[in-house]
Amino acid sequence: MTKPVLIAFILSVSASLSPPLWAETLEDAGFKTPLKQLEFTPALEQYQFERSNFAALQVHDPLELVNRHLYHFNYKFDQYVFLPSVRAYRYVTPKPVRTGVSNFFSNLGQVPTSANSLLQGKFKRAMHSTARLLFNTILGVGGLWDPASKMGLVKVKEDFGQTLGVYGVPEGPYLVLPFLGPSNLRDTTGLVTDFFGDREVNLINYAEISRRNPELYGLQIIDMRYTTELRYGQLNSPFEYEKIRYIYTKARQLQINE
Amino acid sequence: MHLLAVLFCALATLLSATTAVGYQLIDEQSYGFPIHNPFQATIAGSPVELQPQLIGNEQIKQKDYQLRLRPEREQSLPSNFWPVKTLHYRLAKQKKPAPLIFIIAGTGARYDSDKAEYLKKLFYGAGMHVVQISSPTSYDFMAAASHYATPGYSPLDAQELYYVMQTIARKHKNLPVTDWFLTGYSLGGLHAAFISEIDQQQQFFNFKRTLLLNPPVNLYTSVNNLDQMANVELPELYEGHDFYQDVFDKLARYFEKRGHFNFDQAILADFQNSPERFTDAEMAMLIGTMFRFTATDINFTTDLINRRGLIIPTGTRITDGTSLTPYFEIALLCDFSCYIREQLLPFWQNVFQAGELEDLIQQTSLYAVSEHLRTNKNISVMHNQDDFILGAGDLTFLEQVFQDRLILYPYGGHLGNLDYVKNADDILEFFHD
Repeated sequence: MTKPVLIAFILSVSASLSPPLWAETLEDAGFKTPLKQLEFTPALEQYQFERSNFAALQVHDPLELVNRHLYHFNYKFDQYVFLPSVRAYRYVTPKPVRTGVSNFFSNLGQVPTSANSLLQGKFKRAMHSTARLLFNTILGVGGLWDPASKMGLVKVKEDFGQTLGVYGVPEGPYLVLPFLGPSNLRDTTGLVTDFFGDREVNLINYAEISRRNPELYGLQIIDMRYTTELRYGQLNSPFEYEKIRYIYTKARQLQINE
Repeated sequence: MHLLAVLFCALATLLSATTAVGYQLIDEQSYGFPIHNPFQATIAGSPVELQPQLIGNEQIKQKDYQLRLRPEREQSLPSNFWPVKTLHYRLAKQKKPAPLIFIIAGTGARYDSDKAEYLKKLFYGAGMHVVQISSPTSYDFMAAASHYATPGYSPLDAQELYYVMQTIARKHKNLPVTDWFLTGYSLGGLHAAFISEIDQQQQFFNFKRTLLLNPPVNLYTSVNNLDQMANVELPELYEGHDFYQDVFDKLARYFEKRGHFNFDQAILADFQNSPERFTDAEMAMLIGTMFRFTATDINFTTDLINRRGLIIPTGTRITDGTSLTPYFEIALLCDFSCYIREQLLPFWQNVFQAGELEDLIQQTSLYAVSEHLRTNKNISVMHNQDDFILGAGDLTFLEQVFQDRLILYPYGGHLGNLDYVKNADDILEFFHD
């Protein structure tokens, strides 16, 4: 009489000991065969992948030899000069100051964005951008804090290269610019225009001040690098040049069509 | 006496009962990971609000170091390989004595890939020193650290990783390390299993715990699945239109409606709720494409380093200005199974043994270390029931080998739930004393 009771007791203890997590025996541990619902092209008819990639590699790049040398130059400059400067900048400058500096320059960046939004006939966008600039300049003491972000006005970038693209100017040959990286003929024209347009609009006298204090340009460039996420080598491929070329070209098309 | 015998028997049943029941299955009802599509989960990862609180980069004391392991390559490799002539790795140090964890990156991934960075933040926040190492299939590891630079034979890949890990440990011998931990995700998980076995023989680290995150079980099944995904049937694709153009058109239409261009994780979830959303086939194609690019890089790099002449004619002079696009196009044609057939298998037969493909598969898959995994209670594995790198029978294998050390999640695809808060908790819990 005692035996079955004891066994039953021990079994019940063992049952309560095993946590509820233990799975019941499922067929193949419940594997859901996720590929089963897809259809695959038979081996001899496979071409989508190849065709898509060959098409993607067709980027007009007549200056490839020079571009590749510049790509390596930029990569090395980034590794040995640019990024160490950014690290030093991080080391000597406390974070709130760095954030302030970044906000300051990114507000200056709103000047070409507003102008280009107007030029592209995107008035609502221009209003948005302008409102953002006003908020930041008035509320945020020269833009040192970024109240507009907190108020939900998301940062939108427009540049003159994009404006040209909207009006149908073709992108032209792919170019790698020294220090600046991937571009094309149209966007390079845009970049130059924006740079000088920037000088014309004398927002809080920055153009004037920076002419007298060239080190501000240095700070602007370091800050630009500080706020740019791109790291050469990050695509981790011997074909990084091709991949950046493709991504740049496509991303610009997306921006222009938006 | 009689009673004792009964007690003994009952105890024996009890013990065998708990060991025989098997793995830990996270119940579908209570598991809150919201993306139930394995492809979308893989691409998007966990929604931001369901990710764990991570330590900011500003609070991490970390640095990238480099090892000169193959000085002969500095001369023999073309100059445009300059960034990968030394092996880079990342070390994050705690201020006081702490355990150190090695993270082995997945297929084709470098030490600083997103997933390795995520795991670093997770472990560093929990008070560990962290070392991140590139995968032997990553082109930097192939060029800077690997003797044969023909990755895929796990025992050899693990040996080379182990050597790198020892070199790193010696280089930082003043770092106060209390215990050694090891983890790897995807292919890195498979490597971690092999490394753990090597270390048991050599006793250099004596890993206290090893965690395999979504590893392949049969490597050949996994690469075949990934190869297949790049060959998925895309019904809507009409004549003269290519896949990328299709993807970009969809994105363009979406952003046009949305009004501005800004691509991040949160956008993807929103995009998948829009009419332009990607189909399963398209997402599978995107994932397959990413892996196919890794195969492409491996094909090219191994051919160049070993001068096999399959892709780059032997004697070709390559400088910084040389266009690699023609080689890119040739290397693209060869997927993982093609790489195994044309480069890995002949190499393995030459250097290791005159076996068949089946022998190679057996020796390079998790089967080869199953005894080690079965008997070492400090090794665990986490996997998903809907991970597409697995094939039929793979989970059964894991269940039989790991038993209650297999934690199985109902969703997540391939590593999509790695940054989900419950998984993060489980990972830290495993390493917690």
